Amino acid sequence: MCTESGHLFTSRAQGQRHHIRFLAGVFLFLFTSLAQSAVWQHERGQLVLEGAPERIVTLNWAATESLLMLGVNPIGVADRDDYPIWVQQPVLPAGSYDVGARRSPSLEAIAELKPDLILASGQLVPAWDLLDSIAPTYVMSIYDDGARPFERARTLLLTLGNILEREDRARAELRELDEIMLENRGRLEAAGLTGKPIALVNFLDDRHVRINAPNGIFQAALEGLGLDNAWQKPGNFWGFSTVGLEALAAQPDVRIVVISPTAPGLAGQLSSSPFWTHLPAVRQGEVYQVEPVWAYGGVGAVKRLAVLLTETLLAGGQTNVR
Amino acid sequence: MSANGFLPYSRRLPVVAVLLWSLALAGAVLPWLDQLNLSGLLQAFWSVNTDDYQQVVLRYSWAPRFAMAILIGFGLGLAGAVLQQVLGNPLASPTTLGVEAGAQFSIGVATLYAPALLAFSPDLTAVAGGLMAAGLVVALTRKLGFSPVTVILAGLVISFFLGALNAALMLLHGDYLSNLFIWGAGSLVQNDWSQFQDLWPRVVIIGIALVMLMKPLQLLQLGSESARSLGINVGVLRLAALLLVVLMTASVVSRVGVVAFIGLAAPVLARLLGARTLGQKLLWSTLLGGGLLLLADTFAQWATVWAEGTLVPTGTATALIGGPVILLALRGMRNNRHMPGESAGPAHFLPRRRPLKNTLLAAAAALLMIVILALGWSPGLEAWHWTPPWEWPQVWDWRGPRLLAAIAAGVALGLAGTIVQRLTGNVMASPEVLGISGGAALVMVVLILLGINPGRTVQLLAGAIGGAAVLGFLLLLSRQHRFAGHQLLLGGVAIYVFMDAGLRLVMAGGGTEAIRLLSWMSGSTWLVSGPEALALAGVTAVLAALAAMGRRALVLLPLGEGSATALGLSVAKARLLLLLLAAFLTAAATVIIGPLSFVGLMAPHLARVLGQQTVGRQLVMAAVVGAVLLALADYLARVLIFPNQLPAGLLAALIGGGYFLWGLSRHGKH
Repeated sequence: MCTESGHLFTSRAQGQRHHIRFLAGVFLFLFTSLAQSAVWQHERGQLVLEGAPERIVTLNWAATESLLMLGVNPIGVADRDDYPIWVQQPVLPAGSYDVGARRSPSLEAIAELKPDLILASGQLVPAWDLLDSIAPTYVMSIYDDGARPFERARTLLLTLGNILEREDRARAELRELDEIMLENRGRLEAAGLTGKPIALVNFLDDRHVRINAPNGIFQAALEGLGLDNAWQKPGNFWGFSTVGLEALAAQPDVRIVVISPTAPGLAGQLSSSPFWTHLPAVRQGEVYQVEPVWAYGGVGAVKRLAVLLTETLLAGGQTNVR
Repeated sequence: MSANGFLPYSRRLPVVAVLLWSLALAGAVLPWLDQLNLSGLLQAFWSVNTDDYQQVVLRYSWAPRFAMAILIGFGLGLAGAVLQQVLGNPLASPTTLGVEAGAQFSIGVATLYAPALLAFSPDLTAVAGGLMAAGLVVALTRKLGFSPVTVILAGLVISFFLGALNAALMLLHGDYLSNLFIWGAGSLVQNDWSQFQDLWPRVVIIGIALVMLMKPLQLLQLGSESARSLGINVGVLRLAALLLVVLMTASVVSRVGVVAFIGLAAPVLARLLGARTLGQKLLWSTLLGGGLLLLADTFAQWATVWAEGTLVPTGTATALIGGPVILLALRGMRNNRHMPGESAGPAHFLPRRRPLKNTLLAAAAALLMIVILALGWSPGLEAWHWTPPWEWPQVWDWRGPRLLAAIAAGVALGLAGTIVQRLTGNVMASPEVLGISGGAALVMVVLILLGINPGRTVQLLAGAIGGAAVLGFLLLLSRQHRFAGHQLLLGGVAIYVFMDAGLRLVMAGGGTEAIRLLSWMSGSTWLVSGPEALALAGVTAVLAALAAMGRRALVLLPLGEGSATALGLSVAKARLLLLLLAAFLTAAATVIIGPLSFVGLMAPHLARVLGQQTVGRQLVMAAVVGAVLLALADYLARVLIFPNQLPAGLLAALIGGGYFLWGLSRHGKH
């Protein structure tokens, strides 16, 4: 019986808690004699399972990524074909089915897969009843108002490990993450590269960027590596702010780290823009670019960013994006 | 407009213009004054010390943005004034021609499918899209000599049409289109002078060309007939002016995105404040346009600071100007122009009557076939397959409710459309065109903006109140002119503009509200649950029964107030009840299918094409036809790009929008 994630969500279902507990009690009484079943609290209610699920459908990439980290291949993935472009790691092996868009997955396709577990985030709460009528649906949002995404991501991984009876693997992954952080932090400190704050940005066009804010999940990677975030204002729900390029000039001494992909032709547009070329970071050759990392991911995204960021910082800065 | 204000009439224009400009200039300069003096600020326009980053910001960001706002404001103000003159319509604007929507659509398509083209020239892409949309409007209305109202309606529908396509693109490929969220909302952020240097020669050249058209345009003021007799080819003149306006708008839009309504607000304000001659209108509209955009942009910059650095795009600020200005302009409008559909009442359009029974049977058979297809024949992960009827209960949850909801929405819209068309005596009227759907949608947008997430029951009630408010408002506007004329259609436009402003505010913020709103606006049916669908079907059935009871009133009302009263009808009461009924029916459908499906227009019309002329028969037939249309749309939306899905409302809008334009070109000919 695991309720270790339950305390995080009490505010959501305060009113229903007593009902749920009562019902859970009744259920437990009924089921314990019939079969080995287990109950997990989640944002929308509770998940009752008999044995570890094997056919799992993930409706967001943070869940897909966490599942793959545990060594389980999902049978159905939302936006399957875009995963290798935006998330990349852990690699999604061939053989999973596409179940439609993350925002509007196809219930038909999910049902046809006959899953025994569906993983969804709070974004899909309106569809919870429908999803739960297909298969037990576990709802967990890494991103939520006022949430601390990295803690939620860790909890998601541990809870999934618990549900899938792979707790050891989950704990090992978290330990490995800590080790990676320590090791890379050491490398950066040895090279004397931890001083200047980092502005982590995704380019929207040649004038606007999404800048990752302290309430985003990437803050965990920066902190783990002993780096400061150049952007100290709170971002939106997802943990970013949309800003014009001039916001990057507010602090003279920052490093700009651009997360790929960037639009074709961006380098050319920027190189002819005095506003970009006069940015202190650009003048000082403090522009870095990393491979795509999914900004709305989970533990895996933090791990990937930590590694890529260290390598890129050690390799030295440029004066433009690629 | 009367001259009894606090200012002498003749001085209003200069005083307001000076006030507007002072406010805008003060707002733009103020944030810098604690760090620099005025001459230091002015210096930013010609020199820079690149070691001081603050100076770089001033020189390459603040100064060009300042100049850009004024330049674009001038351009759009002038273009709007010319357009209003050409179309002889006080509510014409580049936005109304669909230019912005067209440009946005082509940039979206290019981002997804031809990024190389976008890298080569984003301007070219945007201009092509703007020209395409405006070209469509022109092609559709050419035969009618660009009849003003027809042009506006065609432009409006094409805007909605392309807007719906844009929404679908964003829903399907949001990850790749993040630039569109900004561009669509209009951002004047600059990072050097190159854009300004690119743009100013174009604006000046097009501006001069537009001013040179002034003489022949002045003759247009006398009316098309007199102008023609003076040897002016009215069609060619209008076409040339339209082309210039499109070029001006598209050049502007390709650089900064959608800063709609400046081209509408400036000339409307100029006229309301007393600009009489064409020269005055062009001059003051240009000046007010520059001041307005500078003010809106300043406001956006201040709001960005208040929002802790999160970008508030200029287009959001300008969109908020749009709605009030339209309402302001509506007040002073005369109902002296022809409106399409008005004279082409039922009497002008009588296909052969057919017996109800056979037609109804055929339509019901079509509906039954679609239901069987939707429940049974479906694309699987590997291949299309047939689900036998005894397995339908197992698949009901994800095929049934949405189908039932779509059918109920179709019935509701068919009935609402018939009622509205009979009430107004206008076959081009419909819940969508009159803004009843828009009113219902507006209320829901406001609810979301306020952070309220109501259930469907509250949505239905709130939507019905919104729809009824719009209908009541239109009724008030048109009391003197019976239920016909500009007010009806253009009041609908105003409502959509308000809705659009709210939508932009939500969209610019990004995040989950934006996506939720977007998917609802485009009529996503996949979230409908079984109980919800049943409840909706129940509500629709009750409303349909009420509609059947109102049949007699619908027959009598068009006979005129005197005859109807003589025949024992309480006219005021009957009209009010029918209005409420139409509003409730529309709201019930809008909750499910979004505001833009055009089924309320199509269904009654098709019922008539199928030979059902009397009120009762038209009601029945329109209900069935509406159900067929939306059931089909929902099925196709689910299966066409499986496992992805399209919003059903969007598919219906694509068919319905085309149908509307066809109807427009047909009925505008009188």
